[in-house]
Parts: sequence; C-alpha cells; structure tokens
Amino acid sequence: MFLKELTELSGVSGCEYEVRNYIKDKLQSIGCEYYIDKLGNVIAHNKGRKNKTIMVAAHMDEVGLIVTYIDKDGFIKFQTVGGIDPRVLNSKVVLVGENKIPGVIGSKAVHLMSKEEKGKSIPVDELYIDIGTYSKSETEKLVSIGDYISFKSDYVEFGDDLIKAKALDDRAGCSVLLELLSMKLDADFYGVFTVMEEVGCRGAQTAAFALEPDYAIILEGTICADMPEVKEHSKATIIGKGAALSLMDRSTIYDIEEVRKVEGIASANGIPYQFRTSSAGGNDAGPIHKTKEGAKAVAVSIPCRYIHSPVNVASKNDYNSALNLAKAIILDNQKGE
Amino acid sequence: MNFNSKLMKNLSDCFSPSGREQNIREMIINEISDYADEVNIDALGNVIARKKGNGKKVLFSAHMDQIGLIITHVDERGFLRFSNVGGLDADELIGLHMVFDKGLEGFISSEELEGKEKVTMSKLFLDVGSTSKDFVKANFKVGDMCVFQAQYYETPDCVKCKAADNRIGCYVLIEALKNHPATENDVYYVFSVQEEVGCRGAKTAGYIVNPDLAIAVDVTSTGDSEDGTKMDVKLGDGAAIKIMDKSVIAHPEVKELLTDLAVENNIKYQYEILEFGGTDAGPIHLSREGVKTGAISIPTRNIHSSGEIFNKQDVIECIRLVQAVAAK
Amino acid sequence: MLKEFLFEVCSNQFVSGFEHVNGDMLKKYFEPYTDSCSKDMIGSYIFKQDGINNTKIMLAAHIDEIGLMVTRILDNGFLSFTSVGGINPSSLVAQDVTVYGRENVFGVIGIKPPHVTPEEERDKALKLKDLYIDTGYSRENLEKLVKVGDIATVKREPVSLQGTVISAKALDDKACVAVMLETAKELRKLSHKSNIYYAATAQEETGCRGSVTASYKVNPDIGIVLDVGFGTAPGMPPEICALGKGPIVSFGGRLNQKLTKKFIEVCKEYNYPMQYEAIPGGTGTDTESVQISREGVPCILLSIPLRYMHTSVETIDMVDIETTGKAIARFINELDNSDLEEILCF
Repeated sequence: MFLKELTELSGVSGCEYEVRNYIKDKLQSIGCEYYIDKLGNVIAHNKGRKNKTIMVAAHMDEVGLIVTYIDKDGFIKFQTVGGIDPRVLNSKVVLVGENKIPGVIGSKAVHLMSKEEKGKSIPVDELYIDIGTYSKSETEKLVSIGDYISFKSDYVEFGDDLIKAKALDDRAGCSVLLELLSMKLDADFYGVFTVMEEVGCRGAQTAAFALEPDYAIILEGTICADMPEVKEHSKATIIGKGAALSLMDRSTIYDIEEVRKVEGIASANGIPYQFRTSSAGGNDAGPIHKTKEGAKAVAVSIPCRYIHSPVNVASKNDYNSALNLAKAIILDNQKGE
Repeated sequence: MNFNSKLMKNLSDCFSPSGREQNIREMIINEISDYADEVNIDALGNVIARKKGNGKKVLFSAHMDQIGLIITHVDERGFLRFSNVGGLDADELIGLHMVFDKGLEGFISSEELEGKEKVTMSKLFLDVGSTSKDFVKANFKVGDMCVFQAQYYETPDCVKCKAADNRIGCYVLIEALKNHPATENDVYYVFSVQEEVGCRGAKTAGYIVNPDLAIAVDVTSTGDSEDGTKMDVKLGDGAAIKIMDKSVIAHPEVKELLTDLAVENNIKYQYEILEFGGTDAGPIHLSREGVKTGAISIPTRNIHSSGEIFNKQDVIECIRLVQAVAAK
Repeated sequence: MLKEFLFEVCSNQFVSGFEHVNGDMLKKYFEPYTDSCSKDMIGSYIFKQDGINNTKIMLAAHIDEIGLMVTRILDNGFLSFTSVGGINPSSLVAQDVTVYGRENVFGVIGIKPPHVTPEEERDKALKLKDLYIDTGYSRENLEKLVKVGDIATVKREPVSLQGTVISAKALDDKACVAVMLETAKELRKLSHKSNIYYAATAQEETGCRGSVTASYKVNPDIGIVLDVGFGTAPGMPPEICALGKGPIVSFGGRLNQKLTKKFIEVCKEYNYPMQYEAIPGGTGTDTESVQISREGVPCILLSIPLRYMHTSVETIDMVDIETTGKAIARFINELDNSDLEEILCF
C-alpha cells in the first residue's frame, strides 16, 4: 500500500507532477514499462495473457484551490479547483505554490458577523489566505497568481482499521493500481494514471483514445454518507462493507451484464462488495466508455467519507476488497478460453 | 427506602413562587426542625439547616421556589395582566389554569390574534371568573402571584406534578437530612430562594456557609422523550451527575467523587450535560475564592410545565448519593 | 522562549474547566521568574513576584480555551458533542480532532459529500447539532475509551507564517499569558516594589468565572487585564486595529481612565507602539469581574490584535506580545515610583 506517501503529495488538477514523479519512480523500481502522454497521463503496460485490451484507470489529481488575486495588504484570494463545498474551507492550514508556503484560510470573526451572516455559509469569494505578510509586494515575492494551493492534512491510521488523509479520492485508486502493476500478473492490462479528472475527466479521454480498450476498470474513491441521521437510502456507500460497484452515475450507465459478472466474481472469491446506491457524481468511465467505438466499463470504488474535503476517511478493509476484486476481474477477463 | 408520596404531594402543592417562599419555608422547617442541629434563615429567606461536625464543610442546596406569574394590572371586569416569574414563554400559556395563594383561580386567555401573529405576554390575560367589580377589587392586587393549577398524580414508578422543579430536590434533601449519616463533616442543607429568577438565594447562602464542597440538587432535562431534546439522560437510569450546564462546569474532583461514591454504594447513576439553563451550583462555585462544586440532578421531563414527570427510583438513588457525600 | 511557550501550550488542551490537566506546563515556564504559585478553587493559576511594599498589582489573562464536550456515543463510532464556550460551528467542519478520553482518541469532523448536498443546503451555515466526531471505532470499542463528558479540541499544530506571525488554535488568550511571561521576565531585570500577581484565569470562555475567584483571592489594588482583540483582515470595519502595531489600549465606561492615561504616557515616553479602541460598556473580558471584586479594583484593559478569533487558525504577530509585555513591566516600574494614591483618587 502506497497510501501514506501518495496522499502526502500535492496534485491539484492540472498540477499533478509530484504524484506523476512518484508513480514514475515506483514503476521504474518494479520494472514496469510506461510512457507519459501529451496531457500528462502515466500509461503503464502490464504484459501477459491477452484476450482483450483492458484499461485500468485511476486519477492522480485531487481537488484544491488556485490563487486568483493578491490584495494590497498581502492577503490571497482564491477559487476552488474541482467540486468543493465552501463550508469545508473555513479555518484550514494550506500550502501555497511549489515552495509550499504555509498559510491559513481566514474569515471574519464570528463575533462581528450579523445574524444573517451567521446563518449562511461563507462563500469562497469572502475567504482568503493569510500567510503572515503585511503587503502585496511582500506576498508577491512568495506567491503568484495561478499558484496551486493544497490542504495540509496528515495521513493518520485510526479507529478500527480506518485511514484519514486528504486526496484519498483518488490516491486510493492510484495505490491499488500500483499494487496491481507490481504483482506481475499473467494477464495483459494497461494501468493508466489519469490527470484532470476533477475538472471534467480530461486525461481519461485522451488515454482511451490512444489505447482503444475493449474493457475498462475504473478505480475510484467514491462518495460515502453513512453518517448519523442520514437516511439509509441516502448513504450511497457504507464504510467497511467492501468494494463499491457502480450501477449508474451522471457520466455512465454501467453495462449491467458486466456488473453482474463482477458481482459473481466477488461472490466466488469471497470478496466483500456493495452497490453504490447513488447516481450522483461521475468518473473517468464517462469518457472512456464513449471513446471511438466504445468500451464496456465497470467501476470498483473505495468508499470515502467526507470526500472533497481535507479529511477523507476510508477503510483499509475496503481498500483490500477493491484490490482483490480488481485483480480477480482482470484475471477473469484474460483467462484462456 | 420507600417513596413518601404524601410528603412529595404536599411539597408540590405548596404555593411558593420566587420571592414568595414563606409557605414552603414553613413547611420545610416543620419537616426538618426535629432533625437539624440548627436552622437559620438569612436575609433573602434561604433556609440553612445544619448538622454540626468538626470536619470539612459540605453544603447541599436545593431551591424551594417555583415559576409563576406576577399580576401587573387589574381590570375590574375580571381580567388580570401579568408578567412571568422565571422561565415561561407566552406561547405555552394559553389555556392554562392558574391558582393563587388562597386558592382563587384563573384561566389564561388571549386577545384575538391576527393570522400567524406571535403570542406575546402583553396579549394574554387571566380571566378570574367573576363579573363582580367588588369581588375582583377585593381579591386581586398588583404584585400578587399565581402558579400552575395541576393535580398530583402517580403511576407505580413515576410521578406527574407541578413544581417538581425543584420540590423534588427539596424532598431529596429533607429525606437525606432525616437520615443523616454518622459523620465528622459539618453539613449544611440549604433550601434556597429565587433560583428561577437567577439563582439569587444560593449566592448569599454560599457566601454565608463558605463551604469546602458544595452540591446542588435540582432537576435536569432528559433526552428520552419525543420532544427533540438531544441528551443522554433518561428517566429510570438513576441519579444524574452533572458535568456541565450554562452556569457551571462541575469541578472534576467533585464529578469523580460522586462517580466513585455511586460505584462504591451501588447507586445507579448517569452523566448529565445540560446545554441550556443553570442551577444553584453556578453562584455557589464562584463564591469568595471559589468552591469545589458539583450537582446531583433528578431526571425530569417537561420541566417548567404543569406536568413535570420524574421516576421515583431515580429520586431514591439521588437521596442515597446525597447521603454518601454527606458521610464521605 | 515566548514562541516555544506558545507552541507548547497551544498544542495541548486547556478547555474551560479542565485547565488543571496541563497546569504543570505553566509552572515550568513561570516558576523561573516568580516566587510562588497558588491556585483558586476553580482552576486559575496565580504566580507571584514578591515586592517590598503592600501594593498588589494583578495581571490577568485567561488560560482556558473553547472546546468540545462529548454528549452522546453513537453507533459506528460517532460522537455527538456540544461546545464549551462559544464556538463557531463552521470552523469545525473537516477538521482533525483529539478526544481526551481514557487515552487520546483521534477523530475527524466530516460533512456529507458535495455530490449529494443540495445547493440550498450548501449555502446554510452548519449547526453544532449537524456535526459529529467520527472516531472510526465500533461503538463497543469506543465506549471503552470515551465517556460522556470527555472533552475534545481541534487537533492543530501551530504554524509559523512569514516573519514573526504565527497561527494556532487557542491563541485566545494564551498570547496574553505569554505577555505575562514576558512581563515577569522583564520585571526580574527592572526593579519593582509592588507585589505582582500573574493570574492565568480559568473559565473565562464560559463566563469570566476564574477571574471572579482569582481576584477575590488576590484582592489587588490594581488590575491589568489582558485579552485578545480583533485584528484587521479583509472585510472588517475600519476601526479594527492592525497586527504588529502594539497593544490595543481600551477606553471605556468600565475602565479606569487615569491608569489608562498613565499607561499611554509610559508607552509614549519609552517609544512602545500602541493602538486605541473605545468600548462604551461591557468588554466581554475578565475586566467585568475583576473590576467589581470585593470593594472594587481599578482596571486597565490591553488587547493583543488577533485574526480569526475562536477558530483553530487564530493568528497573531509575536512582536505585539513582546512589546506589550515590556511596556507593562515599564508601566509597573513607573507606578512604583509614582504617587499611587494620587493616580487612583478621584
């Protein structure tokens, strides 16, 4: 499992180089062939027995922030990259730019808010980052417009086999994919670490165009709302109940026969699984299954509580279920007739 | 230990809103004077009963006042205007029956409200049921107080009555005092006044006694009803040991002491965090250089209504805990 | 040393009512500069420098911080909580927390995924009752570690920002406890005739309680109350003071005017920068209780400008702490050499 290292890297959409470099190093050390395409996707090839072209995708990027303006007193204004609920931004420590300048996200003191303001969430354009400078010129020496900003959030193992970190969506998928590639399975597949999923699944589209897969497995960190007072039918997934299989989301209606087949594989191998009982959100399956002549796609996900915030929570057991299931699916699809 | 229903009924029915505690004061003094070594009344009207000892000074405080209404205007047609004494909201009052000290009654009605107009105290009036100017003038004066009219009622395990807040606390202290344990401690049982309007009696009583340890005994809300209060206290789960309310954070040593005593003596207990309201513990713990203070609460539903409900066994557990503290 | 002190006390918990747990940390830093330490009955620590006359000057800064308290243990390792002191629920979302149970338990306060949160819900501020601490344990395992009534705080390592600016949780009001430390250090060097009391008061955040009992115990002739004030940041009204420009000296109905003027005089004479603020009535600080202790105590109020009050990223400039600490030492030294009766008479 490479989760600690992977989640401690910064890789806001469009600026995935830290993650890419780490993955390149790992692929080299396990002796796996790979190349980088024009958008920055890492495309690795595990050679082996082959019936069809399989693409296994996990995205490297994460949601974050980008510098839009520096005001006269040196405060930094920003926008979100990817879908972030503005309510998760208040009072966070962040790292700005390549030099990781520490800053804090501030807002008006609650004591000075009107009753109306108190009832509302603070919109992004009323938040700002304070790096402790007193003037525009002082800040400009350290930070430029367009610099990416990531959350500072440590990787922590806690509770009963749980992990808390930032960017488990989708470093969890990246870690599973790296493990799959390091297993040297006798089954042919392309492992694709995509860029820019959070801003519209850009990387997956060009990678699919190049690879022309027959079959795609998307490895994701997915939504999970199994919190108190959320009704059973609204939880989407439940932590600890196994790998989550998608039926439908905003980007894809997954081929039902393939999903049933995966269900069969999971049962046959005693791998815990659950269905993702929400059709919200989307992932790289969207562009992949629609590229050129099209492909069959399945999504195997690890439930992540508090996704798209600095504190994602996932279960190591679910991670292992996803890994085992992805492996079994690949082997099943490439087994001899 | 059996639950003394007769005593509790008398305490509950006794008319004594804040600032008008003479009836309940007399009743309590009658109950305890044979058992206490000393009974004093301070300037505000607190009853301070003492069981003498040479050891540390322990203060128990239960307030004896109750919420009510005070008459602010008398209309000779038989309508009285009023203000609240203690925490009562206007919209809870319409349709209630009220009773005065000498047994006269009234019914709370409202001026006509337009549409969804909010009920305020100034829209309400008490109809005393008389068209005789002479009767009204002779019997009702500005400054008179009245309290809920309600029947004391029991099931095998619970009691429903008015003013359980905090006559049940008084009951606990009376019973504890009657069965005061052999101890070196110098123990003060305080029945305080004017808690419902801001814990005023406890402030002076705390200063006078200047104790080493203080325990307030009062009711607390519960989270086991369907009224939406989210807290962990349940009727029947035993004496509630207070951790925090808006007036006090129980001294950690006192919380531990109460917990240890409960465990040692096999007293059923639960922890209480009350997110609103306060008790006598508030002013007492800030008295002089500060006092190590905690509280024992009797879980009670529908506090500040005419139908407060508590469990008899919880009361017995509270008494046992008070006795254990007195002896420690 | 001041920064080391602040990083240490701000990394630990001093939640109102639970200040005693880490009280030894205060002793470690104050004892080298003071002669004795006592406590009131509700958790305040009072350090004393002995003087040679009978005058008693008390500095007060509250050591407690706002925090969380566990109210219910729920299925799947979730905890309901309430606040100890006034907290802004919005600042708790998506934070790491430490629950101080039988052992320190890690947890996070999460929020539903944005994908399934309707737009109108996102616009609403969250309330405490909507939030839960997720400990990741089964209820059974959690009940072995955590009890109702245990406290929790946001888990936040203090951060050094640019220059001398730092950010941490609970700089309200530990920044001012650091001011007292600086004053104590300075007064060891300068001489003082008065007896100086440094009261790290308890339970300010739940209603200025520790200062009631601490000032009753000390019974001072003069009170110097220290708290944090609002520091400028975007969107703030123009009268708010700036970080880095010295203490905020308060004028107002509840403060002693002559003493305040004396402090300003001293600052001017010794070139300590300062800023002004007018507070007509209640100050919301320990001044409320110190002033009316026993027969009354003339008080001045000095504040350290702080941004993002009552969040886990409270931000201050260390320069203000040093300036304020030194200015107070000089002020006390001057008071010792003045006719105190004349200053205090009306």
